[in-house]
Amino acid sequence: MSISVKKDKSTQEDIKMSNENFITLLVVCVAIGVFLFASLLVPNFFQFQNMVNLVTNNWAVISLGVGVTFLLVSGNFDLSVGGIVALSGVLAVWFAQSIDGANALSSGGGLPTYLAMLFALAGAMAIGGLNALFVVRLKIPSIIVTLGTMMVARGIAQVITHGSQRNTNLPDDFGLLGNLTLFGTTIKLPVVLMLSLVLVAVFLERKTVFGRLTYWIGSNPVASKLSGIDSSRHQTYLYLFSAAIAGVVGILLASEFKSGFSNRGMLMEFDALVIALLGGIAIAGGFGSVIGMFFGAIILAVVTSAATGLVLSPDWQFILKAIAVFLAITTQTWALARRNR
Amino acid sequence: MTFQSHLASFLRNYYIYLVLIGVVLLLSVANLDRFDFFERGNFLNQKNIINILRVSAPILTLAGAFTLLMVSGYIDLSVGSAMSLSAVVYAMLVINGMPFLPAFGITILVGMLLGIINGFLVVRLKITPVIATLITLSLYKGIALLLVQDGVSAIKSGGGLKMPAWFNSYGRSGILLGLPMAFWVAVLVTIILIVIQNRTLLGKYAAATGGNPTAAKLSGVNTGKVVISLYVIVGITAALAGIARSSFMSLGDPLSGDGMELTAILVVLLGGTAFSGGEGKVLRSFVGALIIMALTVGMLTLVPAYYQTLVIGGTLLAAAASNHLVSRKAAS
Amino acid sequence: MRAVDNVSFEIESGAIHCLVGENGAGKSTLVKMLTGVLQPTSGTMTVRGISHTPKSTQQAREGGIATLFQELHVVDELTVLENLTLGLEKSWFGFQVKSDLDELVVKTLAVIEPSIDPSARVSTLSVAQKQILEITRAASSGASVIIMDEPTAALSEREVARLFTVIRRLKSADVTVIYISHKLDEIFELGDAVTVFRDGKHIATKPISQISDRANLIEMMIGRTVFQQYVPRQIALGEVILTASSLSNSILNDVSFDIKAGEIVGFYGLVGAGKTEIARSIFGADKYTGSIQFKGKEVGTSPKKAIESGIALVPEERRTQGLFTSLTIRENIPVMNVGKVSQNGVLQEAVEIEAAQKYVKQLGIATSSIEKHTEKLSGGNQQKVVLAKCLFAESELVLLDEPTRGVDVGAKTEIYDVMRSLADKGTSVAVFSTELEEVLGICDRVFLLYGGSLEEEIQNGKDVDIAHIMNVVTGGVEHAAQ
Repeated sequence: MSISVKKDKSTQEDIKMSNENFITLLVVCVAIGVFLFASLLVPNFFQFQNMVNLVTNNWAVISLGVGVTFLLVSGNFDLSVGGIVALSGVLAVWFAQSIDGANALSSGGGLPTYLAMLFALAGAMAIGGLNALFVVRLKIPSIIVTLGTMMVARGIAQVITHGSQRNTNLPDDFGLLGNLTLFGTTIKLPVVLMLSLVLVAVFLERKTVFGRLTYWIGSNPVASKLSGIDSSRHQTYLYLFSAAIAGVVGILLASEFKSGFSNRGMLMEFDALVIALLGGIAIAGGFGSVIGMFFGAIILAVVTSAATGLVLSPDWQFILKAIAVFLAITTQTWALARRNR
Repeated sequence: MTFQSHLASFLRNYYIYLVLIGVVLLLSVANLDRFDFFERGNFLNQKNIINILRVSAPILTLAGAFTLLMVSGYIDLSVGSAMSLSAVVYAMLVINGMPFLPAFGITILVGMLLGIINGFLVVRLKITPVIATLITLSLYKGIALLLVQDGVSAIKSGGGLKMPAWFNSYGRSGILLGLPMAFWVAVLVTIILIVIQNRTLLGKYAAATGGNPTAAKLSGVNTGKVVISLYVIVGITAALAGIARSSFMSLGDPLSGDGMELTAILVVLLGGTAFSGGEGKVLRSFVGALIIMALTVGMLTLVPAYYQTLVIGGTLLAAAASNHLVSRKAAS
Repeated sequence: MRAVDNVSFEIESGAIHCLVGENGAGKSTLVKMLTGVLQPTSGTMTVRGISHTPKSTQQAREGGIATLFQELHVVDELTVLENLTLGLEKSWFGFQVKSDLDELVVKTLAVIEPSIDPSARVSTLSVAQKQILEITRAASSGASVIIMDEPTAALSEREVARLFTVIRRLKSADVTVIYISHKLDEIFELGDAVTVFRDGKHIATKPISQISDRANLIEMMIGRTVFQQYVPRQIALGEVILTASSLSNSILNDVSFDIKAGEIVGFYGLVGAGKTEIARSIFGADKYTGSIQFKGKEVGTSPKKAIESGIALVPEERRTQGLFTSLTIRENIPVMNVGKVSQNGVLQEAVEIEAAQKYVKQLGIATSSIEKHTEKLSGGNQQKVVLAKCLFAESELVLLDEPTRGVDVGAKTEIYDVMRSLADKGTSVAVFSTELEEVLGICDRVFLLYGGSLEEEIQNGKDVDIAHIMNVVTGGVEHAAQ
């Protein structure tokens, strides 16, 4: 008997761009394509203001998406962000309400606005710390932990607001941040912050050690350990980072609506996950870009607003999201498999 | 074995019953006469128990099937939406004149279909179970919402159609020991699942697939078929849960199952089911469901309703932590 | 190049037939052909007179060939009896029913290993007992041949004795055992016949009775008694940089050695001898008792600390332990020394690109671009990337665990050159390998390992006695007390 060893073929290939850039580019093309397609179907869709709205109306989910994306790349879920949004908003309002309110729901900490918001942010990051404790230290699967902490965060918000909201007795400057517009245009501060966050995130992921660590840990946790990376510390930072983003989003929303509503941010964590998946972030970790997530958000926004434009009931969004994620996952897997054959 | 190891093993096997007794005792001691829902004084009186068990019918039906699925190492996050969709379908069929048995049967078939879809996505298309069932969670929820016309929140009497009088007898009318058929169906389903787990090949293969899928496949077990069957069983119990809830409330509410998947996860964690697969018992999850429902309903009388989310979230974290620590200790 | 070339021999039914040979001699390739993992390009196989041409492991099993793997294929959560009958049960509409199979299996178990209780949960069994469980399963499911590859690697002496009893009982049940091991004592104790492989060729198949002694067998295995290709290095060695004293853990037994600056040392032994454990202990990845002093201080307790103090490790499994396969070559390289390519946390792309290009050139990594994803590289090139990672750490001691496993000849030579030039510049290099040619080709000193103990230290030079080395690493050294 005899057997031959095959010669290796990989030296003959010539790759022009990395898999990640390929997928991101694919997502951008799909976003543009979907937009053009929707413009054909929906009257008045192809307008500049509409394009702007796609981004500005979704500033909250995109911001949350940044944190969720980083955590997914490192190999973990964060489903607590929606709850943190509610909690930080409620805390900010509660801390800022004057002490001498007429009833329980009108009285709060009496702190000046900036302090109230700072403490609210601290509360948000405490939830992030809780996430880190359970996922990193106790090594419990992140999907369970973050579902639990999401409920704990929202639960605390519900207790503080007795199940509804707090919106009275607030200092005048409380509504400033959420409603501030830029140099006389109609662009609000939260949108500007979101865009800055996305740019910072792109910089982080491509050009900093922090970003590169995230990819190393997600790509191969064992090799990371054997290469001297302290993944516990980094994952903790990631959870705190994501919680901080969610905290700021919650505070800005509370400021915009001048109320702390315990139902705010409901299901936002799933939307953040959806846009990350649409954007090509791999569940396995170590792959995907924030740019993809951004355009994934555009795809989702186009799909949902086109549905509204076609006078479909808002209930359609659930089915559309399901189909969109399904198509995204299957086509990305198929496209990568074909490319790497 | 020494007395200590005997004690340890006894505790590990029966702790959940101890917890149940403990919770019941605790609630009995608390003062419950603030609300009409409970008769004055004792938690342990007949009316209270009947109420709690009636409301628990959906989760009691679901718990066992969910456990078996997790034993095989897989999860189904769409059970809540499947339950809602089944509730809507059932209510729709009945309000449009269909009698009980055919409506019941068709809804069960719908549940099977929902389970088949999940199984297909996970096993044939090899999509990660979390993502696959999140997709179907959204899909089923959307279909349920669409089936209910705009302007109405649920399928119920109104606008020319009337829900027949017999509709809520399945979920409400006591037929045995004061408990409705929905409860007894839950008990029957649990018994069937216990038998499946302990006495059939499906139960054994579920544990094998979850414990060591490579070994199972090498032994010739068709793990794909096993997993799809389990998803179908979960789908059927979700349909039963939807019928129970819909009958209890006399309407088909597309949001009635929201959050059920979280409750299911909590319940099976309490029952000692491991997330990695291989471990878990149907009966223990049943008891876990009783504990959660006793706590939830009992809590309603002690603290305002808005504490519920916090308590459930906290319990979930505590259960996950202790589950994980216990299984890690056992492994070392 | 052929892994196995024109091999022909016969195995008697019901015999315990041993396969011996150095690493890469062709044993595992032969086994892969028997188990359907690889297909022979020419020649035939027959089992009990029936032609055996499995295209898959399933078909091999149907042909009566069962294999005992290193990773245990048992389900911990089920009982012994459930494991033994898994996949073979009789059922009545899905319900498990007691059948003849249950009785047969219990009887077989009682014969093979009566001390295992069929109703016990497998999680309560020891590794050795689980192994016996797998053997019982193979036997009771009708296997006519059971292949065992280094089965005693993780067993204590008592457990080895028990395994041998089991194997002899198999023999009396007319089951043929193909026993692959480098522990020659075992072969002499257990085997009826032995087949020797060398360089992909069949050297001899003889009954044990016809082999006079260890030396005789070793001579057949290695074919030459003396190694003459070592070229001594011209550089003078520096001070001692690392000292290990009484290093012990679950595998290692009181290991002590030292390494000098600029020296290339080798740790040679066969499977399970403890090489990887020593490397990982030095690198802070495994716990141990005893002391390892590096540059005067005890080594760190984590890989992070080890790298900071100047030690780098090329791990045994490059795909799972060494490489970030979803990332590019450029992105892989700086991980052990990120400070060099970054300033205040910001990556300096130009520095990174330059470093990557430098290593691609220096190590001869065959790629058209540093932006290529490492999962697409060949084994040799992947290993070079892992090596580049460690070189980038600029450490004073580089540990290489199986540095050229699965690497083609051309890349091997390039890697050896890199190791030599590293040492010439004063870096210490430690090679942990199961390839004798490799170790003797480049190392100044070689430590021989067997069963977790460091048996002997050899100064490399002209005319090294290979037969003696082989004897030591196959257990030939007598121990005063066990």
